[in-house]
Amino acid sequence: MNKRKKLDQDHVWGYLMVAPTIIGLIVLNVYPFIKTIVLSFSSMKVFGEYKFIGFRNYANMFSSEEFWRATWNTLLFCVLTVPIGVMLALIVAILLNSKIKGKVVFRAIFFLPMVVAPAAVAMVWKWMFNSDYGVINTIFHTKIDWITDPNVIIITVAIVAIWSALGYDAVLLLSGIQNISKTYYEAASLDGATKFQQFRYITMPMVSPTLFVVLILRLMSSLKVYDLIYMMVGESNPAMSKAQSLIYLFYRESFISGNRGYASAIVIWTVLLIGIITAIQFIGQKKWVNYEV
Amino acid sequence: MKRIGAVLLVGALSLFMIAGCGKKNEGENSSAAEKGGSLVFQIWDAGQKSGMEELAKAYMEEHPNVNIEVQASGWDEYWTKLEASAQSNTMPDIFWMHSNQMYKYADAGILADCTDIVDKDAFSEIALQNAEGSDGNLYGVPKDKDIICLAYNKEMFDEAGVAYPDEDWTWDDLTNASEQIYEKTGKYGYMAYAQDQIGYWNFVYQNGGQILNEDGTEAKFTDEATSEAIKFYVGLQQNDWCPTQNQFANTDATTLFFSEQGAMFYAGSWQLADACANYPELNGKWDVAVLPKCPNPVAGDGRASISNSVTYATAAKGKNKELAMDFLAYLGSEEGQKLQGETGVGIPAYNGMEETWANTFKENGYDIDASKVTDMFDYSVKYVNNPSRPIWEPKVEQTVLDMYAGTVSVDDGIQKMQDVVTAAIKDE
Repeated sequence: MNKRKKLDQDHVWGYLMVAPTIIGLIVLNVYPFIKTIVLSFSSMKVFGEYKFIGFRNYANMFSSEEFWRATWNTLLFCVLTVPIGVMLALIVAILLNSKIKGKVVFRAIFFLPMVVAPAAVAMVWKWMFNSDYGVINTIFHTKIDWITDPNVIIITVAIVAIWSALGYDAVLLLSGIQNISKTYYEAASLDGATKFQQFRYITMPMVSPTLFVVLILRLMSSLKVYDLIYMMVGESNPAMSKAQSLIYLFYRESFISGNRGYASAIVIWTVLLIGIITAIQFIGQKKWVNYEV
Repeated sequence: MKRIGAVLLVGALSLFMIAGCGKKNEGENSSAAEKGGSLVFQIWDAGQKSGMEELAKAYMEEHPNVNIEVQASGWDEYWTKLEASAQSNTMPDIFWMHSNQMYKYADAGILADCTDIVDKDAFSEIALQNAEGSDGNLYGVPKDKDIICLAYNKEMFDEAGVAYPDEDWTWDDLTNASEQIYEKTGKYGYMAYAQDQIGYWNFVYQNGGQILNEDGTEAKFTDEATSEAIKFYVGLQQNDWCPTQNQFANTDATTLFFSEQGAMFYAGSWQLADACANYPELNGKWDVAVLPKCPNPVAGDGRASISNSVTYATAAKGKNKELAMDFLAYLGSEEGQKLQGETGVGIPAYNGMEETWANTFKENGYDIDASKVTDMFDYSVKYVNNPSRPIWEPKVEQTVLDMYAGTVSVDDGIQKMQDVVTAAIKDE
């Protein structure tokens, strides 16, 4: 009896402890999400009454060429940034883990992009990609319209996105690599395993849970890309309509045109897209992620 | 039972937290200037913060019990915040309103009716119109007015041996000068970029055309005068002396002009003070002139320049409305307007105070003749606006870019803009 009472008291404290987080989550995440779903079935403008219009926003959305273009751009951006970005991060992490001089300095350098404000990153890169006066076209003697050619712009933004995320991902992976016990490598080298074999059969399986987390994080942020496109492409750019991502389209519909209902439908679609892709990842991970230590 | 208790406790805790948040704004329910109180004054331009503080200080000296705090934020953030605060009735006590957003806020009943505190005879017609809601009442006090002018690089004109732009300049002079400058100096001439207010609208109205009819209920893109002017403006890009829109997307016209890559561009009067301060090394090398006129307009005398204005406003249901209205009345007084003009950024909305603004350039040691700019108010045209503008504006802007990119022919583009605006007006 006494023990049961004690447990209940613990419960109260438990609830109290998690209350701030849970309340924050409900107020800042759950409520807005439900509200967005409700809004997506309305013809809501910025101010005024709620008017239910059924699936009309969704019907309009699926018949809009602009919308499919944005969906395609978002997926393309994802395909361009995630595999290359994560692979590069893994290589950087392995290099940073090796015995080289000035390791700490290199780690700091690679992490630096994370510390710089995204607006500053976009501005500097935009200058470098400037097709008339930019350093990139000058060095490579090319004449590529990096930020105005509709077929190139997504690649340009992807390069910047990979660069900005590389350091953060690499540090995450580095911590995963450093958690691997040295004894495995010692045992392997005694058995005559080459460096590559050590990587293939020790590092890869052992770091795979971290790799999976990095992959999921990168995937989600790629599907939600907005700020880089907003800052690097700009509204008066002829390529804008061809380069907009789903979230950019949402921003334009919601905050410029004031179509809150339609914009909400775009967001719900994005959430579904992220959900489906993440679910596929979670199913696929069983094949390659190793949770046994 | 215990579990319910715990849930209740969590609920109570959250209520407590919410109550804690709400407490801040209570206790200051002053009704008039004598009683005093605190006001928050929100603006979108950090460059004008000190000017607005100047105004607040002048008011506070007369009313020692009042405290006014000026807060500045960025343009995009400003509107996101203002919208959210309007929905939750926690708007700043005084804020700026742009004509782009005027109908949205005024027609939704969010702004206080200021018709009674504005002396209509004292203000410029255009500034008053920009403060109107759809019902014709004034939903704010006019702050300033702006206009478009021609900025030109004197050195390049000298080098090419071309006379400076003057009142008699026409579109032909503009293109001829551009060609000569490009030939002789290798620099760009007139840099015409895809823009409405600072770009093709001016040409349309100079040619006697319109974008919308007077009461904003009809699109006029396909009218002869309008379409002719749009074709002329878009066609300028075909010349070697004009950068392409792709080039502008890389480096905008303002940057090209002030890094001495181009000889001319259209500038808004609101940009001049910043430009002078940001490019001191170019002081004396450039000047401003009135817009070149249309040589053979379909109607009118060929002169026009688009004019827009900013309005001071307060919320209809604001907690400190009475005090805010009193401060608004001060901002709309002769003294408030004059002080505003002396800050150099905005031309006062008050009639006959253009000089106070124009003089600030000389006073600060900047060698540009800004009185040329204010001369244009005699024939200025009100910024194009109607309640459905938020819907059609992004689509029209996109169509203009498509016409430039060549994915849509200019004729089809003009028809498309006509259709888009007509549909938006009908839906409203």
